[in-house]
Amino acid sequence: MSRMQIQSDAEIIEAVSAARANGSTLEIVGSGTKRGYGRHCAADAVLDISALTGIVSYEPDELVITAKTGTLISEIEDALARRGQRLGFDPADWGPLFGKPRCAATVGGVLSADACGSARVRFGAARDHLLGYRAINGFAESYKAGGRVVKNVTGFDLPKLLCGAMGTLGVLTEVTLRLVPRPPHNVTLIARDIAPDDGFALLRRAWTSAFGPTGLAYVPSSVALSFTGFGAVGEGAALMRLEGAPVPLAEKIAGLRALDPGALLEEIDGERTFREIGNGHALVGMDADVWRVVLPPSASARFVAEQQPDIWVGDWAGGLLWIGSAPDDEAAAQKIRSLASACDGHAILLRASETMRSRIPPFRPESPTCTAVSKSVKAAFDPFGIFNPSRMYEGI
Amino acid sequence: MLFAEPDSSILARRDIIVAALARLVPGGTITGPSGLAAYDGDALTAYRQVPLVCVLPETREQVCAVLRFASEERIPIVPRGAGTSLSGGALPRADAILVGLSRMNRILEIDYENACVVAEPGVTNLAITRAVEGRGFFYAPDPSSQIACTVGGNVAENSGGIHCLKYGLTTHNLCGVEMVLSSGECMRLGGKSPGSAGYDLLGVVAGSEGLLGIVVEVTLRILRKPPVTRTLLAAFDSVPAAGTCVAQIIAGGIVPAAMEFMDRRCIAAVEDYCAPGYPKDVDAILIIEVDGVAQEVLEALEHAKGIAHGAGAKEVREAAGEAERARLWTGRKAAFPAMGRLAPDMLCMDGTIPRRALPEVLARMAEMADEYGLGFCNVFHAGDGNLHPLIIFDVMKPGELERAEAFGGEILKLCVEVGGVLTGEHGVGVEKRDLMPIMFSQSDLAQQQRLKCAFDAAGLFNPGKVFPTLSACVERGHMHVHAGRLPFANLPRF
Repeated sequence: MSRMQIQSDAEIIEAVSAARANGSTLEIVGSGTKRGYGRHCAADAVLDISALTGIVSYEPDELVITAKTGTLISEIEDALARRGQRLGFDPADWGPLFGKPRCAATVGGVLSADACGSARVRFGAARDHLLGYRAINGFAESYKAGGRVVKNVTGFDLPKLLCGAMGTLGVLTEVTLRLVPRPPHNVTLIARDIAPDDGFALLRRAWTSAFGPTGLAYVPSSVALSFTGFGAVGEGAALMRLEGAPVPLAEKIAGLRALDPGALLEEIDGERTFREIGNGHALVGMDADVWRVVLPPSASARFVAEQQPDIWVGDWAGGLLWIGSAPDDEAAAQKIRSLASACDGHAILLRASETMRSRIPPFRPESPTCTAVSKSVKAAFDPFGIFNPSRMYEGI
Repeated sequence: MLFAEPDSSILARRDIIVAALARLVPGGTITGPSGLAAYDGDALTAYRQVPLVCVLPETREQVCAVLRFASEERIPIVPRGAGTSLSGGALPRADAILVGLSRMNRILEIDYENACVVAEPGVTNLAITRAVEGRGFFYAPDPSSQIACTVGGNVAENSGGIHCLKYGLTTHNLCGVEMVLSSGECMRLGGKSPGSAGYDLLGVVAGSEGLLGIVVEVTLRILRKPPVTRTLLAAFDSVPAAGTCVAQIIAGGIVPAAMEFMDRRCIAAVEDYCAPGYPKDVDAILIIEVDGVAQEVLEALEHAKGIAHGAGAKEVREAAGEAERARLWTGRKAAFPAMGRLAPDMLCMDGTIPRRALPEVLARMAEMADEYGLGFCNVFHAGDGNLHPLIIFDVMKPGELERAEAFGGEILKLCVEVGGVLTGEHGVGVEKRDLMPIMFSQSDLAQQQRLKCAFDAAGLFNPGKVFPTLSACVERGHMHVHAGRLPFANLPRF
């Protein structure tokens, strides 16, 4: 497979024009940390955008940043941290999960995979932070969508569509993201030795409280040791992250404690723990297929009770379960997928062998009507099927 | 011309169409001139058009049946909620079926465990909050028309409101929809679990202005009501100083629940109208609202006060109690009707600009007003840079309407020029349709139109809205208020 290291939008246009002319396909790659995510992509050539880098503009006063899509997330986060700001969706670093280096993910890759961490529960997903973009579509045209201001209803909200589209709708070249202030302090409250159903119930009460927790996770005893920052947890631990200036923070801590006076909530430094949870740390280096099961928060305890996974972690107040299952076990995969559907959610196979991903679609198949619309949407952006062919679904 | 000539073959078949719809939606078809007159437009009153026929389905099955029929017969569809769109999103066409969703007005489920409400599209925005406030929850998007506008319309327009600075627009509070496509097929997107399986189609349905389908069910996020809300009024001797204050508050890491701006002319008009007790003889005021837990609010408020003083505020006053807080807001919410008394006609603009550009844009708008020789005032959601300049004029005076429209167009061009957008919350509709090329290139617009085609290849949904036609180049971009008669005069406008 040939590889094109492009340096500019113009070179992308050239590459896409050529692909269109000779009927070939392109796999869009940034740092390549998540190439194992999605269906196997058998493209004719790699379009490497990792050299398309740089923060184009950063306006701290405006809470907005614009960057080329090959820019490392870590570079953006460093720049933001220096001005007391951050990306609200807690971009996740899944590199190590796929045996790749850490801190190598690009902003384009993170948005395309909708790789969100724990703070999603409070601030929303990547799609809620992408204000606008510039991209090259399958007609080899450069176009822009959205804007650079926080409140905008001018035309269709295409930025939402491009988030999580796995690069199947075009080559993102430049993105504008909204930012949130980084509070000066944070603290994590931990409830130890709490059963999953009680733990999730506590997390949901915290989620629907007025105290605005920015992380709500459950870690069962089986994986607790793989995380940094807390020791023995008994049956499992519920973790609640709060942020703010010292005095308000104390008030929020007291508020969460009052939600369940029976639970002993201890304060720990959970900063690193929450990062590890978002990164799927418990499953790094483990010989297991990795699932992200997305559920109505109230269904997570039932899912765990019925599925009985060996390795799992809950996040987003129960809205997300990380599950490890035996590698290449199709029966287990079917069970996870059907149970997720029965719980009114869906399961994403994040990591598995190429063979497994050819047998079990990484993304839950959609209804026939929805599939038809998705195919039309794909054709609206990439009518000749140039970009990341069949990376999401067969033909999409 | 606003729309192309009506399709005469459809007009000729009207009797057959009416009869078919009466069979599909028994007792829910409006056909007579007097009945249809009530549906001849929305809150963009400059345009009126009686629809071919109006149908008011009560069930999703009826919506599906109507759309199947329309699709087979190739008849355009205009969806309508409560008809409060300020951009003409629900403006009927002579050759289209107007599908009103107002009878689908049941709340289907309140799920406190998963913090969401499932409702039919015709439920009003405020009814969602009313249904859950007893348990201490609320639905965050609060457009000024919230007592009348429907949640289905909110999804179509991606409605905002005063508090979207902190809580986001409709799209950020929308978990799922069930929608009917032009084929009459139903499609479920999202739901109670966070995120969708494939493409984020829900993300483009929000704000699609009725161009992609008809939403027949919505799942909305509800939030816990913050325990403490406090409100500050800061008065300034200069407009740029107030603009600076806004920019510094945002830059200072404060996320107010709301931050509203009114200029001298607006303050005077409001004082005459309802006497909210604003400071006299100042050039601008800001109303800054902060909510959250007590200490959080206290710190943010002190911080904001310091910034306001630093920016040169002449007076900084905190509402002493609930009554005074309500009074401060009464004035702000009365801005539109108060201005409407100063002149027979008024245009309301709706651009968004980067917040740092506020002082510059406000100064340039004042210069433009002099050039055009028209009165105007500024009242807007300052926190997110969403301007609502009100231009006053008299349509009976020769040339004033044209000057007002030109002035409005200039303002929107200025918004785009400084890095902003044409519309922050009112939508494009027919109002700003022909201004789209100011912001988007031909390829930008082509990509959006291709998405439209992916959902609705036959182009049956809301034709003539959002996208400019080749022939049209008229400058629009405003709400036209004639003779002080505000559309939905009983609704607050802010």
